[in-house]
Amino acid sequence: MLSEYLPVLIQMITATGLAASMLILSVVLGKSGNQSDIKNSPYECGMLPIGEGQPRFSVKFYMVAMLFVLFDIEVVFMYPWAVVFRDMIVTHTIMFWSMLSFAGILLVAYLYALKKGALNWKE
Amino acid sequence: MTSTYASIILLFPLFSAAAILLGLKKKANISALVATGSALLTLVLSVLVLNAKEWSSVTLLQWSKVGGLELGIDLKIDQLSSGMMLVVTGVGALVHLFSLIYMKKDAGKARFFAGLSLFMFSMTGIVYSANLAMMFIFWELVGVSSYILIGHWFEKNSAADAAKKAFLTNRIGDFGFMIGILLLWAATREISFDGLSNAVAAGNMAPGLLAAATLCIFCGTVGKSAQFPLHVWLPDAMEGPTPVSALIHAATMVAAGVYMLVRVSFLIEASGWAADVIAWIGGISALLAALMATQQNDIKRVLAYSTLSQLGYMVMACGLLASEAGMFHLFTHAWFKAGLFLGSGAIIYACHHEQDIWKMGGLKDKMPVTFATFGLCTAALIAVPFTSGWWSKEAILEAAYKNDGLLFPIAAGTALLTAFYMTRLFVVVFFGKGRDSHVAGHAHEVPMLMRAPLIILAVLAVLAGFALIAGPVLGDEYAKYSQFHFSVPAIVSILTLALGVGLGLKLYAGRDREPVNIKLFANKFYFDELYAKIVKLCQDSVAAVARVLDGLLIDGVGVGGTRGFANMTGNALRRIQSGNLQGYACLFGAGVLVIVLLALL
Amino acid sequence: MPAYYLEIAVVVLGLVLLLVEAFTPPQHKRRIGWAALAGIAATFLLLLTVKSHCGCDSPMWQFYDDSSLSLFFKGLALLCTAFVLMLGLEYLPVLEKYSARAGGGPATGEFFALPVLICAGLMWMASAIDITTIFLSLELTTIGFYIMVAYMRRNVGSLEAGVKYLILGALSTGILVYGLSWLFGATGQTGLDAIRTALPSAARGPALFAFALILIALCFKIAAVPFHFWVPDVYQGAPTPVTAFLSVGSKAAGFLVAIRLMEPFLAVESLRTTCIAILVAVACATLILGNLAAIPQGNFKRLLAYSSISHAGFLLLALASDRHTGELTSTRIIAFYLSAYLCMTLLAFAVLIIINKSTGSDELKAFDGLHRRNPFLGFATLIAAASLAGVPLTAGFLGKFFVFIAAAGAQQWLAIGIAVAGAAAGFYYYFKVIRHVYWNTAPEGAAAIPVSPVAKSLLIILIAATLVLGVYPQLILGLL
Repeated sequence: MLSEYLPVLIQMITATGLAASMLILSVVLGKSGNQSDIKNSPYECGMLPIGEGQPRFSVKFYMVAMLFVLFDIEVVFMYPWAVVFRDMIVTHTIMFWSMLSFAGILLVAYLYALKKGALNWKE
Repeated sequence: MTSTYASIILLFPLFSAAAILLGLKKKANISALVATGSALLTLVLSVLVLNAKEWSSVTLLQWSKVGGLELGIDLKIDQLSSGMMLVVTGVGALVHLFSLIYMKKDAGKARFFAGLSLFMFSMTGIVYSANLAMMFIFWELVGVSSYILIGHWFEKNSAADAAKKAFLTNRIGDFGFMIGILLLWAATREISFDGLSNAVAAGNMAPGLLAAATLCIFCGTVGKSAQFPLHVWLPDAMEGPTPVSALIHAATMVAAGVYMLVRVSFLIEASGWAADVIAWIGGISALLAALMATQQNDIKRVLAYSTLSQLGYMVMACGLLASEAGMFHLFTHAWFKAGLFLGSGAIIYACHHEQDIWKMGGLKDKMPVTFATFGLCTAALIAVPFTSGWWSKEAILEAAYKNDGLLFPIAAGTALLTAFYMTRLFVVVFFGKGRDSHVAGHAHEVPMLMRAPLIILAVLAVLAGFALIAGPVLGDEYAKYSQFHFSVPAIVSILTLALGVGLGLKLYAGRDREPVNIKLFANKFYFDELYAKIVKLCQDSVAAVARVLDGLLIDGVGVGGTRGFANMTGNALRRIQSGNLQGYACLFGAGVLVIVLLALL
Repeated sequence: MPAYYLEIAVVVLGLVLLLVEAFTPPQHKRRIGWAALAGIAATFLLLLTVKSHCGCDSPMWQFYDDSSLSLFFKGLALLCTAFVLMLGLEYLPVLEKYSARAGGGPATGEFFALPVLICAGLMWMASAIDITTIFLSLELTTIGFYIMVAYMRRNVGSLEAGVKYLILGALSTGILVYGLSWLFGATGQTGLDAIRTALPSAARGPALFAFALILIALCFKIAAVPFHFWVPDVYQGAPTPVTAFLSVGSKAAGFLVAIRLMEPFLAVESLRTTCIAILVAVACATLILGNLAAIPQGNFKRLLAYSSISHAGFLLLALASDRHTGELTSTRIIAFYLSAYLCMTLLAFAVLIIINKSTGSDELKAFDGLHRRNPFLGFATLIAAASLAGVPLTAGFLGKFFVFIAAAGAQQWLAIGIAVAGAAAGFYYYFKVIRHVYWNTAPEGAAAIPVSPVAKSLLIILIAATLVLGVYPQLILGLL
């Protein structure tokens, strides 16, 4: 029974092994020179950097990204449904209506997001 | 059908009281009519119940059912409760009618009638209750309504104090009553009368425990029926309006204690020596109260002590295992004592609320109807042959004569005193000349609506002992008492009557002032003073001890210690509750570890 | 009508409210609250017409239970939501102050739409008999609560509470899923019925591991020690109606799920002893900590938070007593306790909201001299505190009393001792509130506190319910 899980084990070993080897190899293979503040600055002999390294994004970006992820994930639910749809719709018409109501809820969510200006980039 | 009637009898006064308190408070006249209507309706229904003779039990409300203890409002409709209901609703209806006039101009009229309705509801509950818990609840409700009605004129200090005294004194008795109920329940797991009766008959209780429980239950009677040594509240309760005295403190509520004894007569019969205690308490109360009555000058107080004395008779009968005789006397006493009280109410009403008998006099001609009815009721009370009181008193004397050598003389002495003090009252109030022109001079007969209840009660006082009236109420038991036979108690009874009346006439006919002064009786054997002393002594000593304990234990160890401990732990816990999310997450993880380890190890 | 139409109705109601909210001008947002209240009330009336097992054939019944217990908890959820909506209407002025949009007016509409959706989750949870549906419904409520707790976006306290609840909630959710997956792994089933039959033959280690993880996640939901850390902070920071909802609705649903999920474990002879020992240990820790920590509190909301923890201890003790015979089974005791808890806690929160509206403070000091500033409010506080403490003739007393009966039946003497000590401590800190109301004098120039008609009717209902349940427990016990 446990042998069924062998691929999972291999996957785990591969993943950890890959990450670990990257870290270790970079230390082993990389050449470390003298360290100083100037050497560590982004441009050793260029302009002095102004401001922070990671500029702030507008919150709108996160908003849109989050909405995208949400709707995207919800579409995932349709795949298993679609796989069995042809076989089961004959006996279970409720399949159709349940997915329709699911889509309806998504529609409400979309309308709500639209009206609340979540997708309005300019404002 | 009877169960429906009984439910209506129980609930109607409640609705009436609620309606008055919630809606009709401002409309005093309508309130009075609503309450009177409900009283009349319940009277009609209880007559119907009594005639139907369909005995049954009905559960009105299942209140709680926890761990084998089933509490509910269960109505028990049988001969006893139906007969008692006739007394309660009959006197109740007449008192309502009388009050319509008596309380006509009272500012708190609506409140008064609401109180009466509440009382009728509570009293009905006691009478119909099929278990001790329900009886106790209504027992307390009766106490509350009595409190409200005694203190009706609460702006008078004496009335407010009397209400408080009645309530507190009753609490002492009720405490014993409750312990008794708990004892019975603990021993038999039953609180319904039927269940208890079966359990006692089956011999499930140890004799000592049974006697103790019976005496505890009897404490309830001592409080409610004002028996020695808790009798002190009843005379003071006369501060309430006179119709209230007639209904509650003469005919019904104070009789509830006796009624309860009759209900649990199976306990008394099985309890051995406890029965003797009950009989003796009754006898002592009867005699003491009669002695005190001989020296009172307030017309209502005389009657109050007379009530005490008659209640003592009934309790004595119950203790002598002749509870039917006690019930019989309860039944007849209700009519003539209510008649006497309403009569005194009429006199007080006519004499501008003066209650001192030495300021009255010569009312015979001015109030002929009152005079006649009062006379008939007095005759019944002092047991003139063939009046109702004679039949029932005879039954009790008979029982005393048969069972106990010493109680019979006490009972006979009480009968003598009763005849004496009632003659004194009657002669001083109605004969002679008006001693105070302001009080007795302007007296005149009361209106029709007040006279009618007096006449009805007087008729009942004379006739209630005969088979026509007493028969259906008492059922089969009545046959025992209906035949007159010549025996020692009968002779003694007639002798004491003659002696008492003769002595009364000899001493008081034509007098304007009290000819004898017995301070001990006039001051009620100094019971009130004694109790005040005892209470003060107890209070002072307890207070002294409490002060020391308070300083040492409570403030020192208790409060100080607890506070220190609580503060310490509180501060420790506050440190954990730092508000830091990372800390919380760490502790969460630690908690997970602990629980998982607990589960797996 | 099958019972699940109720959930559908409530979800549709929530969605409609959300849409309407989006299209309503700001000045009419109050109407959303009334509409939500009307909808919830209508659903409650519908609930009364539902009979157990209508006989309709549907695959739904594999996931969905409509026994009287489930219907009872649905009713509790609906009532609680209705009361919370009323509290929300009362709380609007405070809410408007702290929820202003960047450029526009206050945003208060969702405050009434979200409880409806949470209510749908609670109702669904009441009927869930499959670990998948249990998890889904639990998430539906929890996510709603995440938003609600952080609703006052201009209030730092509310935001902080929201973040804490979100992080710790996510942690507990993760543990719950992990536990459920172990349960599935051990039995190979998702339906609770099937799990019950499969569990006796499952391996002991995985089963106990699953039990521990599930218990931990549920302890978080019902605020039991040592997973209670979020409670005082979140209760204090969240908008008060939400706090009330959290402490009543969330706890009630959590306990129903606990009853359902623990039951298969307790039925297995080999697991039973360990499981009960853990439950009792958690109950005792909760009782001790909840009561001790409540004593020094000077903030009424925090006091109620610790009170909520200590009540969870009593409820856990009832659960651990695992009583199945007689009138008072563990399930019925918990149902009664939760009903009593609903009445008295919502009463306390209602008083708090009214006082906060006038004084702007949640501290106990704000209660000083309340009986002069508004006698009725003082009386309501008195009843709430008395019932929470467990004074006889109030619902709270009977709740505790029943728990003691059950625990005595299970012979948990140590736990009873701790619970009695906890109840005694409770008298101390609840009566502190009464002292503030009746003995302390109001500060100089304190004005009378007004009570709106809505609030007054709410208070009257809750006071009456607290007292009636205190003398007539059959009202609840008879429903189950």
